[in-house]
Amino acid sequence: MRVLFLKFTLLAILFCVAVPEFSYADTVATTDVTPFDKRRLLVRPRNTDGTIEVTPFFQDPVLWARDEQQNFYGAMSRAMKGIQGENRWAAAWTLMLLSFAYGVLHAAGPGHGKAVISAWLLATENQLRRGIVVALMSAVVQAMTAIVVVSALIFLVGSAGTATKDAAAFLESASYALIAAMGGYLLWTAFAGYRQRRALVPAQANSGAVRFEITHPLNAGHVHVHNHGADCECGHAHVPTARDVAGKWSWGKAFSLAFAVGIRPCTGALLVLVFANALGLYWAGIASTFAMAVGTFITVSCVAAVAVYSKQLAERLVARDTEWLGYLGTAMRLGGGLGIMLFGTILFLASLNGPTGGM
Amino acid sequence: MTLGRVTGLFLAAGVGLFAQSVAGWSHPHVWADMRSQLQVTDDGKIAGVRVEWTTDKAYAKDALDGLDTNGDGIYEPEELARLTEENLKALAGYNYFVVFRFNGEVQKNGVAKDGNQTYNAADGRLTLTFTVPLETPLDPKVGEVKLKVYDPEFFIDFEYLKEHPLLISKKLPEGCTAKLLPTPSDASVDQTRQMLFTKGKDWKPENNEDFGGMFAQATVVECAK
Repeated sequence: MRVLFLKFTLLAILFCVAVPEFSYADTVATTDVTPFDKRRLLVRPRNTDGTIEVTPFFQDPVLWARDEQQNFYGAMSRAMKGIQGENRWAAAWTLMLLSFAYGVLHAAGPGHGKAVISAWLLATENQLRRGIVVALMSAVVQAMTAIVVVSALIFLVGSAGTATKDAAAFLESASYALIAAMGGYLLWTAFAGYRQRRALVPAQANSGAVRFEITHPLNAGHVHVHNHGADCECGHAHVPTARDVAGKWSWGKAFSLAFAVGIRPCTGALLVLVFANALGLYWAGIASTFAMAVGTFITVSCVAAVAVYSKQLAERLVARDTEWLGYLGTAMRLGGGLGIMLFGTILFLASLNGPTGGM
Repeated sequence: MTLGRVTGLFLAAGVGLFAQSVAGWSHPHVWADMRSQLQVTDDGKIAGVRVEWTTDKAYAKDALDGLDTNGDGIYEPEELARLTEENLKALAGYNYFVVFRFNGEVQKNGVAKDGNQTYNAADGRLTLTFTVPLETPLDPKVGEVKLKVYDPEFFIDFEYLKEHPLLISKKLPEGCTAKLLPTPSDASVDQTRQMLFTKGKDWKPENNEDFGGMFAQATVVECAK
């Protein structure tokens, strides 16, 4: 009983570590009177040069990232104005650099599907390589979305000002709905996996040596869902192990996740593109959007690494306990699926009430 | 910790994210119903403005969380004093969103004073009141005094109250009137927008006005010549 308790505690801690926003909400309430919590203020305190005062990193890393991000935002719009002037190349480079830095910081703040990606990876993945691929795909999808939206609007409407907002709001809702669906899918695999495992218990007990690594080669065409039973005759040489019952890696699933997260374009990217177009320097906007994607990719990869390593650690800790490994897998799918579904549903409903314009 | 509690954690996290997404990411971030009281000196000059901003419930929630230190469910003046003080300090960086013009020239504001804040438990909103003095009082008999209270970045959406939006601390000199010009109508906002479309990229509003100011409601003090 005590072991079980410890294991669940470990699980909970892992989720908290890998999904920083989840624990963030709790830290707000318990702030001391000194220093004063800036979140209480009507406006962010500003320096004399118009930049906002940055919260020290160790006082509150989330606020720090947010403050820095806001200053980068300001610096970006100034660089944009500079592009018009004499030194176009210098301004364009500045803009790209700023966009990159903005991407890194921006992804560290709320949003950007980190919660979704890390919860998903915790539930399904234990190879860092793949976590990073998902992070990269979502960053690229997000950049492409922004470029496609703004380009299409410029082409169709001729200007991208207000219409961009509407399109962004629609895509945001769509993204949340897809995220909720991904969560639902994960939950479904958890139940399917549970049924599957129950069916497999006698087979495993007889086989003696149970292996836990994925014995499948990676195969892009291999996207069918594994819910075959113990008597399955579908051409697999191996006995399906606890892990690869339902959440197997496939490019299709990875892309679905990246797509769900990424079709919500990032406001920073939209801003850069719209501005760039207004200034007649669309190429600089596109280059900056990709620079921003590289930035977000780096941060999201770090988050993905934490998720994957936590998962590996958890599995090592229970590696000798076959039954528990099965429970762990199911619990992670259940938890991750529920979390992702809730996250998607709540944000989806919120987005219907009005644009939230996640920055 | 049981599975139930893990689920609970996710539930709490989801609600937290929701609150965050609504309170933190939306634009504008704060809505304020306001009232302005022109500060009139004994010799009939405009010395500043005392503003009263009643902000939205969501802001009150963020601002008040944990401030009821004695836990009696009421926010006493002492409990709100620090919030008022820190808010005024932060607002100084934004010039208090108060812009006085004298014959079109932007005037300098002094440091805000007499800050006060009350919490109305019935409607769950905070009302912040403070005075922004002008560095030099303005004589309405010499030139046109114009006041706009607005946030150029639209972080706070200011709107004048329907009832008594504009007050005066003392009677204005004979022949002088203070009036709040009506909110720009949809038609005129559209007109401004159309006008902006025809302008080039280098165009700027007159008198160093920013774009936000073009849509803000103005108070004008004028005296019959």
